[in-house]
Amino acid sequence: MAAAVKVARLEKTLGSNKVLRGISFEAHSEEIFGLLGPNGAGKTTTLRIICTLLAPDAGSVGVLGFDTRTAPQEVRRRVGVVTAEIGVYPRLSARENIAYFAELSGLLDGDLDRRVDAVIERLDMASFASQRAESLSSGQKQKVAIARAIVHDPPVLMFDEPTSNLDVLASREIRQFMVESKGRGKCVIFSTHVLHDAERLCDRVTIIHQGRVVADGATADVRRGYQDLEDSFLALVETAK
Amino acid sequence: MRDVFIVFRKELREILRDRRTLTAIALAVIATPTILFVISQVSVKTATQTYTIGYSGQIPAGLEVLFTATGLKLERVDDPAAAAKRQVDIGLAFSASGIDEYYDPTRQSAQIADIRVQTILGRYDAAKIAATLQEKGVDPSILDPLPVRSHPLSSPTQAASNAFLSFFLPYILITMSLTGGLSAALDSSAGERERKTLESLLLTPAPRGQLLIGKILAVSTISLLAAVASIGSMLVALSQISFGNGGGQNEHVALSPLAATVMLWLAVLLAASFSSVTIALGTLARNFRQGQAYATPLYFITIFPASIVLFIPDFNPGVAYYLIPILNAVLVLRDAIVHNSIEWTALAVTSVSLILTGALCFYAALRLFTREALLVRS
Repeated sequence: MAAAVKVARLEKTLGSNKVLRGISFEAHSEEIFGLLGPNGAGKTTTLRIICTLLAPDAGSVGVLGFDTRTAPQEVRRRVGVVTAEIGVYPRLSARENIAYFAELSGLLDGDLDRRVDAVIERLDMASFASQRAESLSSGQKQKVAIARAIVHDPPVLMFDEPTSNLDVLASREIRQFMVESKGRGKCVIFSTHVLHDAERLCDRVTIIHQGRVVADGATADVRRGYQDLEDSFLALVETAK
Repeated sequence: MRDVFIVFRKELREILRDRRTLTAIALAVIATPTILFVISQVSVKTATQTYTIGYSGQIPAGLEVLFTATGLKLERVDDPAAAAKRQVDIGLAFSASGIDEYYDPTRQSAQIADIRVQTILGRYDAAKIAATLQEKGVDPSILDPLPVRSHPLSSPTQAASNAFLSFFLPYILITMSLTGGLSAALDSSAGERERKTLESLLLTPAPRGQLLIGKILAVSTISLLAAVASIGSMLVALSQISFGNGGGQNEHVALSPLAATVMLWLAVLLAASFSSVTIALGTLARNFRQGQAYATPLYFITIFPASIVLFIPDFNPGVAYYLIPILNAVLVLRDAIVHNSIEWTALAVTSVSLILTGALCFYAALRLFTREALLVRS
């Protein structure tokens, strides 16, 4: 199967800190791919390069055949990103927040209303869709953040520590949503340091540490020989030191 | 350009739901007429105020009537010098050798009373001399060998009104063009970063330049609205308020159509420039408060040129001065108000200067808006 996201020998320095030192991996459609590593390993920087917010110093990233350097707008049309930051426009309603991003993603009038209604229904947001975002709970804001990321129906979805600010119920909904998206044929990239979540959800994982890949493969293969993924992760990181 | 419109409409919607911006504009609209009303009341009161003369000795015949008719009340006192310190506004001691006048220059009422007394005494002396000369068969016009006949080429009262407008209008135009949209500019730049919505916005396929243009257009619209609303409320107030001029005439101040057109054109240019500057500063800032700190010096930078007409009313610079942003707008608007005419070269230079300033500020804002540090620096 052709890779939906192909990262090759990626390098990036931010200030004086060399964050990425030649990272390579591939993520496919119809799978949840885990990008794992401790804080500061370079996960967020990698995702930001994939979605064209940052430019790589070396290496390349392709998303469904489009290079992030030469066709950044085409890449952005095909990617949806959910982060731990659930910033929303407080003076717009939940629906207006979603519609704004839908319009900027290129959806036109009829299509726009249909898609906005669809994501509101899919994420069970109808009860608060007309409320101003400033009055929403954290869980409701997270739903708005997910809705705006998927409203243009992107084939690639990236989740960067999406549950770090959420309670148990909201976290479970996010996990369910990732599984559901995989079922719909999406390529789901899940960046996290919560290895328990990764072990339950991910088909394949890449573990990075200090800007380098220390393990890559099917989740079951990476944890083989250890009690769980966490033990495997700790051993790999220790070896890398 | 579709993305520009989408951002413009969203920003405008957010701004119009923001109490801070709406309150600032409403206060400016209310404050200007209120201040003008207070000024007019003080002006009328000063013109019609009666001041007290404490006097001793015998008042020459006829002088008492003149004093009373000019709003000067006479009150006999034992010691005019002592009374002038607090009890009365001015002290006069009449004697055979003349009049001794006592007043305290630190008191404004004493200064005004002094001017009235000097005016009355001058006229009284002239009338007395003329009467004496006539009694002796001499034509009193001998005292005025070179009479001056004034032929004002425009209404002196209109000129006074124009002078008043030529200071207030540029001042309000510039301050409101800056402050009217400041909150909105910082909210749509530093606020976007503070609320953590910037990353999501930059993830959309919309080109960053178009996102920025949409924001600048929305902020410019609010700045323009604030400036026009303030000036409109000021002109409405001026059309209703009378300023007493002491001569029994009341004049209303009005803006000529030409000056109004020039003002609108300058308002558009200033609003666009200020919006670019404030959004650039907001983009540099990590949060709204830091943005306010960065923008504070702008108040001083803009208010100084706006005040130049007050300090140097007859400042007539060469064309090169019209290259200086803000100052050029003040000078062009002043000329349009005072002379009711346009110096086309000056207007062209001013327009080019302000458009270039706006373009440079936009370029700076775009550079800041597209650099990676915008996202990396939390």
